[in-house]
Amino acid sequence: MTAVVTDLTPRQRTWTAFRRNPLGLASAAILLALAVIALCAPLIAPFPEGYGEDTFQPPSAEHWFGTDDIGQDVFAQVIWGTRVSMAVGLSASVLAIVIGLVVGICAAYFRRLDTPLGVLVDLSLSLPVLPLMILVAALAGPSVRTLVVVIALFSWPEVARVVRSSAMAIVPMPFVSAAKVIGGSAFWIVRKHLVPGVVPVVGVSVVLTTSRAVLAEAGLSFLGLGDPNSWSWGTILHKAQQSGALASAWWTTLFPSLAILLLVLSTTLLSVAYNDARNHRSAS
Amino acid sequence: MRFVVTRLLRGLLTLWFAVTVTFFLVRLLPGDPVLAVADPNMTEELRAKLLADFGLDQPLGVQYLNYLAQLVQGNLGMSFRQSIPVTTVLMDRLPWTLILTGSAMLVTIVLGIPLGVLAATRAKGWVDRVIQLTGVTAQSLFVPSVGIFLMYVMGVTLGWFPIGGAVDLDATGPAAWLSMLHHLVLPCLSLVLIQLGGYVLTMRSTLIEALGEDYVALAKAKGVKPRAVVWKHALRNALLPTTTIAGLQLGTLVGGAVLTETIYAYPGIGRAIYEAVGQLDFPVLQGAFVLLAAAVVAANLLTDVAYGILDPRVRTS
Repeated sequence: MTAVVTDLTPRQRTWTAFRRNPLGLASAAILLALAVIALCAPLIAPFPEGYGEDTFQPPSAEHWFGTDDIGQDVFAQVIWGTRVSMAVGLSASVLAIVIGLVVGICAAYFRRLDTPLGVLVDLSLSLPVLPLMILVAALAGPSVRTLVVVIALFSWPEVARVVRSSAMAIVPMPFVSAAKVIGGSAFWIVRKHLVPGVVPVVGVSVVLTTSRAVLAEAGLSFLGLGDPNSWSWGTILHKAQQSGALASAWWTTLFPSLAILLLVLSTTLLSVAYNDARNHRSAS
Repeated sequence: MRFVVTRLLRGLLTLWFAVTVTFFLVRLLPGDPVLAVADPNMTEELRAKLLADFGLDQPLGVQYLNYLAQLVQGNLGMSFRQSIPVTTVLMDRLPWTLILTGSAMLVTIVLGIPLGVLAATRAKGWVDRVIQLTGVTAQSLFVPSVGIFLMYVMGVTLGWFPIGGAVDLDATGPAAWLSMLHHLVLPCLSLVLIQLGGYVLTMRSTLIEALGEDYVALAKAKGVKPRAVVWKHALRNALLPTTTIAGLQLGTLVGGAVLTETIYAYPGIGRAIYEAVGQLDFPVLQGAFVLLAAAVVAANLLTDVAYGILDPRVRTS
């Protein structure tokens, strides 16, 4: 058995180990289902707008998740909210990863930049991020684009720190020196040697940064800084808070809350499973 | 002493960074700079007068130095909705936020230590699995969801605790203190639930590491009782790294407090932020961030110094 395992490439070994983890597989399936819901939202429910006749109806066969203070269907809100919450989370995370990757690799490869960039990252990480995001989002005016940029702007230092520490381990390797000796440009060395080396770390980072971005989006929208023209899970909670439904209509807050929990929990478990699968020594 | 001074300088640097970032973000964002000091619905003359009054017609560098000079004197500008200094608005609110976050931190530590010990001493057993999975789940919770859930179940349905405010205004003397505690339970519990996971998981892994050290083997060989080995020998050393987690989680704690105070109408800085968002009161938002950043920096400084006193090795690094 061990002979077979050692014949596999590291990637195949990771995949084999990952497939044996039921929690990881279930998380991946849930994320896939949420992505399908986000993409197919128009096919599942009509966009919630206008006023309905039945206000504050508890869940029924007609309104699965009940209705809110102006008679809109909460099920439709949650379905359409999946779209915005996931889109904002994913775009903010991709943007944060790109910035973090550039900063982290520059800090590791160009020694002179290490101290200033390191100080910048340390300083950013020691500030309370949510109040800062609130200030900037309020000034820039609420929109989906604002949310993406604001969340990315304050999420990249975490990524940069992780990328830097893993790139630091690659820079002193003989093949990097060899690449320098044969006259490779800094850009070529970074692209050919450093970026591939940090990709596994970045993979985990994408997942975790996305879940944090989803939480940040929900928090900002809950405080009233979401896009007023679209639905996100945080916006549903914000409207429930404003209409005074928190203490009476449990269904207006329970379902968006469950959606957030489902997404964040499955991303967390997925990254744990991926880490375990990649870490062959601890798995055996 | 040199250690304390270095840490103090680092804290001041962080604070300066926070202030500078907000100053330039506010000025460089596409919005109207006058929005940062006054109402958008005003005449052109008034606008020009305000620009001059607040020094906004001067070069950016001069504005920045003025801003720093005002800040050092504790002046955070005027709230344009309430026409009183931002410092006054926020200082009234600060004690409530400190009570809420302080009590949440205390309860988290008091619950986190025994839970971490329980998981570490039964590592790989089912108790450990349950604690680990619950810890990961708790870290994925959205603060308002937890707050709303607790409010609905323990406040509305069971009626055990009040669901809003910080104190019964009619109560006096000891009754007022009791009412304060009574109002504190649900918001505090919401913060504890989201914080606890991180503490327990860190406590667990550092304690497992400590239990593998030579001095633990020695203590066991000497015939020290297993309970004493864990609580007296290993735990003491495992507690040190856990104090750094307290510092790292301060940002999360403050963010959580903003959201929790919003739900429970708890009159702290977080609720002030929520109200200021609704009224587009930018000076209050900016001041709240600066004040919260200062609180986090101060708390970090305290943990650092405490760590240095407990563990002399840190002082030299």
